[in-house]
Amino acid sequence: MAVNLGGLLMKNPVTTASGTFAAGREYNDFVDVSTLGAVTTKGVSLHGWAGNDTPRIAETPSGMLNSIGLQNPGVKHLMDVDIPWLNDQGATIIVNVSGHSFDEYLAVVDELEQACVHAYEINISCPNVDAGGMTLGTDPKCVESIVKKIRDATDRPLIVKLTPNVTSITDIAKAAEAGGADAISLINTLLGMSIDAERMRPTMARVVGGLSGSCVKPVALRMVWECHQAISLPILGMGGIMNGLDAVEFILAGASAVAVGTANFVNPFATQEVIEGIADYCERHGVNDVNELIGALKC
Amino acid sequence: MPLINEQARIVENECVGPRLYLMVLESPQIAKTIKPGQFVHVRIPGMPDHILRRPFSVYAANPATNTIDILYQTVGYGTDFMTTLTPDSASLSVVEVLGPVGRCWMPPEHVKRALLVGGGVGAAPLYMLAEQLVKAQVHTDVVLGAQTEQALVCRGRYEVLLSSHEADVVAPLCSTDDGSYGRAGFATSLVAEALESAAQAARPYDYVAVCGPEPLMRAVAELCAGANVYCEVSMERRMACGIGACLSCVVETTDGKLRACVDGPVFDATKVVW
Repeated sequence: MAVNLGGLLMKNPVTTASGTFAAGREYNDFVDVSTLGAVTTKGVSLHGWAGNDTPRIAETPSGMLNSIGLQNPGVKHLMDVDIPWLNDQGATIIVNVSGHSFDEYLAVVDELEQACVHAYEINISCPNVDAGGMTLGTDPKCVESIVKKIRDATDRPLIVKLTPNVTSITDIAKAAEAGGADAISLINTLLGMSIDAERMRPTMARVVGGLSGSCVKPVALRMVWECHQAISLPILGMGGIMNGLDAVEFILAGASAVAVGTANFVNPFATQEVIEGIADYCERHGVNDVNELIGALKC
Repeated sequence: MPLINEQARIVENECVGPRLYLMVLESPQIAKTIKPGQFVHVRIPGMPDHILRRPFSVYAANPATNTIDILYQTVGYGTDFMTTLTPDSASLSVVEVLGPVGRCWMPPEHVKRALLVGGGVGAAPLYMLAEQLVKAQVHTDVVLGAQTEQALVCRGRYEVLLSSHEADVVAPLCSTDDGSYGRAGFATSLVAEALESAAQAARPYDYVAVCGPEPLMRAVAELCAGANVYCEVSMERRMACGIGACLSCVVETTDGKLRACVDGPVFDATKVVW
């Protein structure tokens, strides 16, 4: 079940989608984080961010919208509290890095170089912040430039998380590859909105938010499949994975690893069940090594 | 206390008032461990397109029968659908219950006189606290407010509970918006009078707990601040994970944005930024 995601060795292909699992401690009664391929922590910025006003979520058909706004207590807190705990548990750690500017991304990575973490996921795709986030991730030149700068700052595996809110996902993926990324992850959430017609008001305080859950899976699969053909980097696939079979679909489309996100909210055991589901699929199909499934879609 | 996720059989699911339903669930582990003010995060079967769990406060827990009672109001698709679940359905008689979640009511250690204020279904999450206080022989008064007499569905249980101890006011004080029972208008005026008369009698309240619509909680919190009485409120927010990870349900406080699910739902009222 072990996979190599751009230099990050994972004991199985399953990690968590950032922002859905905090840093793992909240799920400790349900999930032994050391059994996951990796834990991807919630997006962290240099100093704390307060995030957006409430309501921050809305339930939508087969999914949900969120506009949390990357609320986090800053990188120092992550390094003082969460990373030591994850280290104690024996977890493989991917830190999701956020920022309002190029300099902030670099400053966060610079701090994290002192910490025992195993890879970075650069979040240039959050739809819920006004500066940084998705605004960086929609312009190929900008993507290449930020990835280059961070590449120069670290030798650790560098995963770049892409937004689906673009015309051509492959142009952005190529830019990340040109900038020196070791892997890409996709998709972040799809920008959407929800309206309460009776009250004639938006359902969420920030009006728009990011769509996730089963409803986004077809879009995510298409983008993983397109990127797998367009670039040679390994892909961390995500978007609506609720069970092992969903995860296998992503692997067949070209993902080397997968992340479980919204499913954690519905079922706190989701990550474990996805790992078991992939293993079960391999057994049923006589697959000895999960790597044989990566991109094995027969078109 | 570790969180538990258990399959809970529906024992009862009855309409008890206007848009108000009582669901009794066989949830042995949670019935044994839940504390007053904590809640459960429920995955409702039979509505796969509506993926999120729903948080519900627990009205009563009975370790002897392994059951918990949930009083809920229909407010949308999920709660409307919940009303159709029945104990005798083959596929829709079991819900998945995660709990006990959250910070419980925390009255001061040597509390002598408590006032509990419940607005609408907010009366339910105070009932276990009332039981705890009465058992500890704390003088406990209760104010209940609702839109109509029919909506004062918790009144009976409180009457039975309060009549089991010696109190100046045996029955809960009630108000209804339409004047069909008790004081006409909001519960706030009853609270103001109770605080004042207790202070005048030189037996002031040293703890007030309130749960209900936010304007009621805010008004009671302000009255308590004015009377220098420690007050706790139980905050309600839209929630996704229900266990502290997703940061959907934050409440603005003097300590920043805190999670209603695990930092609350019960907060020191002076910390809440309304």
